[in-house]
Amino acid sequence: MDSFFQQLINGLALGSIYGLIALGYTMVYGVLRFINFAHSDVLMLGAYAAFFLAPKVQQIVPLPGLAGALIVMLLAALICAAAGMLIEFLAYRPLRSRPKLTVLITAIGVSLFIEFTCQHKAVFGAANRAFPKLIDFPNFTFLGLTFTSLNVIIVLVTAALLAGMWFIVQRTRTGAAMRAVSFNQQAAALMGINISRIITFTFGLGSALAAVAGVLYALGAPAIEPLMGTQPGLRAFIAAVVGGIGNLPGAVLGGILLGLLETFAGGIPGLSTYRDAIAFAILILILLFKPAGLLGKATVEKV
Amino acid sequence: MSQPLLKLDQVTIQFGGLTAVSKLDLAIGDREMVGLIGPNGAGKTTAFNLITGVYQPTAGRIEFAGLPIAGLKAHELTKLGVARTFQNIRLFGSLSVLDNVRAATQLHRSHGVINALWRGRAFRESEKEVRSFVMDLLGIFKLDGCADEEAKSLPYGDQRRLEIVRALATKPKLLLLDEPAAGMNPTEKEALMHLIRFIQEKFQISILLVEHDMKVVMGICERIAVLEYGVKISEGTPAEIQSDPRVIKAYLGTEDDEENVEVVHA
Amino acid sequence: MKTGLDPIYKAIASVRLPGAKRWLLVGIALALVASYFSGQFNRYYLGVWMDCGINIILAVSLNLINGHTGQFSLGHAGFMSVGGYTAAKLSLVYSPSVPPEWHPVLLCAGLLLGGLASAVAGFLVGVPSLRLRGDYLAIVTLGFGEIIRVIFQNTEAVGAASGLSGIPKYTTLGWTFGVAAITIYVVAALVNSTYGRGFLAVSDDEVAASSMGINPTRYKVTAFVLGAFFAGIAGALYAHHKQTLTPTQFDFMKSIDIVVMVILGGMGRTGGVILAAIILTWMPEMLRGFADYRMIMYALLIIALMMLRPQGLFALNFKRKGGGAA
Repeated sequence: MDSFFQQLINGLALGSIYGLIALGYTMVYGVLRFINFAHSDVLMLGAYAAFFLAPKVQQIVPLPGLAGALIVMLLAALICAAAGMLIEFLAYRPLRSRPKLTVLITAIGVSLFIEFTCQHKAVFGAANRAFPKLIDFPNFTFLGLTFTSLNVIIVLVTAALLAGMWFIVQRTRTGAAMRAVSFNQQAAALMGINISRIITFTFGLGSALAAVAGVLYALGAPAIEPLMGTQPGLRAFIAAVVGGIGNLPGAVLGGILLGLLETFAGGIPGLSTYRDAIAFAILILILLFKPAGLLGKATVEKV
Repeated sequence: MSQPLLKLDQVTIQFGGLTAVSKLDLAIGDREMVGLIGPNGAGKTTAFNLITGVYQPTAGRIEFAGLPIAGLKAHELTKLGVARTFQNIRLFGSLSVLDNVRAATQLHRSHGVINALWRGRAFRESEKEVRSFVMDLLGIFKLDGCADEEAKSLPYGDQRRLEIVRALATKPKLLLLDEPAAGMNPTEKEALMHLIRFIQEKFQISILLVEHDMKVVMGICERIAVLEYGVKISEGTPAEIQSDPRVIKAYLGTEDDEENVEVVHA
Repeated sequence: MKTGLDPIYKAIASVRLPGAKRWLLVGIALALVASYFSGQFNRYYLGVWMDCGINIILAVSLNLINGHTGQFSLGHAGFMSVGGYTAAKLSLVYSPSVPPEWHPVLLCAGLLLGGLASAVAGFLVGVPSLRLRGDYLAIVTLGFGEIIRVIFQNTEAVGAASGLSGIPKYTTLGWTFGVAAITIYVVAALVNSTYGRGFLAVSDDEVAASSMGINPTRYKVTAFVLGAFFAGIAGALYAHHKQTLTPTQFDFMKSIDIVVMVILGGMGRTGGVILAAIILTWMPEMLRGFADYRMIMYALLIIALMMLRPQGLFALNFKRKGGGAA
């Protein structure tokens, strides 16, 4: 029973990270209707940004420490927001009126470009690097159960950011514009909404979330490397689809579902090596039986 | 009229709480030209989509040649002999004019993968036959001159005609035309009316014309049904429809409302 | 758009009928002649040309799915691996007990069996694909590819993560280009028939195609099954060329490579796709000196292609025009 709850919190934490990344996928899909393959690389950039920033920040604020960690995370988020907006500006904006598949392939190209460039020895190099300890996360005992505080932090941060996103999308003018663009781009443009600004903003926001997810992921991972984003990125994308792409709570729900499944499947001998396959199998089942996702709305093609 | 070719019996469809089409009765006989008209939002397109199987009715029955057609997929319906055009032209844009029509003929061919690969004598003959059938059909509509052009490069009017030719290539018993006059100027509309009348005489088929342009429908249909808010408010010959006060009210509004049909168009 | 490639492209595009069956024979004969003289070639160049042949099979068969039928599969490497593993296992089990003069027959059996196994996989992927389109389909096929890879990675009978090695070297230049000729013939002959126009119609507008009596489901599944069949054969040739198979050879990157060949050549343009397969097989060999930058350049090529010529480098404008019957 003890280990069940520990697995539960582990899965919840892993799923929260997937959820955070999935928020970025889902928001970008919401406004642009395409899968931003490079999103998982932005996550990696976030982790590397934190890696290089930590020693600099340490000279001013003590690390490990909560304040220092927050500063590092914030800076990483800013850097990634800029990176995300830059990617959108350079690679996707020129293709905005092109067929979706053209953009999808471009996104794959961008993702490969970032990965190969970062693997180059003049950039980050392909080798693993130990991620600095930004914060102490001792185990603690609650109700007779032992928890890693990192896991608790991850879950709380995700909850807070989801609430924040929800507020932005549902309660602010910019959020209303985002929803309008998502609903009908042309009509939104006619209503005087600056489409480009909204898309840029969405990319920035999604990328900042990816950076936070990247830092949290790196804190729990043994090391970072330029391809670290691929696997969680793929899972997060699946999570976004499972939850209903374009739907914010759906993304987090999908992420948590996937995280839990992965953690519990990993605990079953014989099944653990099939973890990658399981995520995709779930995706395929969802798309077949509930193509709009758990919380998404179904649409019918107009004739 | 013995047994009608197409029969709608108390057909109703609801989207959520909204009843888009309510208890619609409609029958189209052999070689009959029927018009379905109504102002924008009256449910014409919904009725059209019900007949073509895009939507399934919430209640009621649709029969074609005595067979219930609920649940049939579009291509199965076409096989039975129902062909259609689209309101917003949907040609195979990257295919040539010839191939657009050719693709529609394969319904009546038994040649599949094996024949296409083996290319025996029977296959080659059949391919020749298809070609001459298609060229003849294109010739009737004076499109044979541009048989090798990309369909999307044709002028608008020709694209509309090509869509009709493509539908005819499936050898239908019933042709459904979805707003064929949309986007046409008066001269083009005049030509379209001639064309539809010509098709009906030449191919001896039934035609259901869904249209909001009164003039076009009045000019060619033998019988007209009028929809308003999903309900059939009138049915009869053009003369009867023209003098039906309910239709006048639906289309022209009340006396003090001076808006005319042209505004309804916009 | 006139380029210096026009005559070459026209020559390839002229694989048209009724002379097509003759062309097929010419193609196979050429492959056999080349194979006969292949002893004279430098071994390294020979190996790369065999890669070319295999990549042509892969690209042309993927083109049936992604180009002609307008689907988007990112799982071609998965199909390839099914065929490769099937044929390799067959050879590993039977080659010791089969006399050497029968080895071509064994390879032939491996190609067929591999192709069939892969076709079954194609059917299993094709059926769910019916409900999906565009990027969703891309992701699902990617997922299927990954699932296949994970299964191989966990199957002891095919060596799990370390894969199969010591596969006999049966593949020759003649086999690769002979099969490539057959693949090209099959795809071209199929598409250039009244039946085959259905693939293009489904690609252009599924709803309209359905209303013209074309059953989109059947066409899409046919495309997946046929495409997978040839990918499986390519995998079998690959196994008997490289002599070792590991699951990682068939990852997402491999699928991307094939997709890029199709895009570079121009979706639905068989001639262009063949050219692209040859160029993209040779390019990494030419760029060996720039190994560090090779993959970065490759990624940039994809992006540049999408921005500047999404219709493909060799997509000239006469492929679908006047594709008259017979």
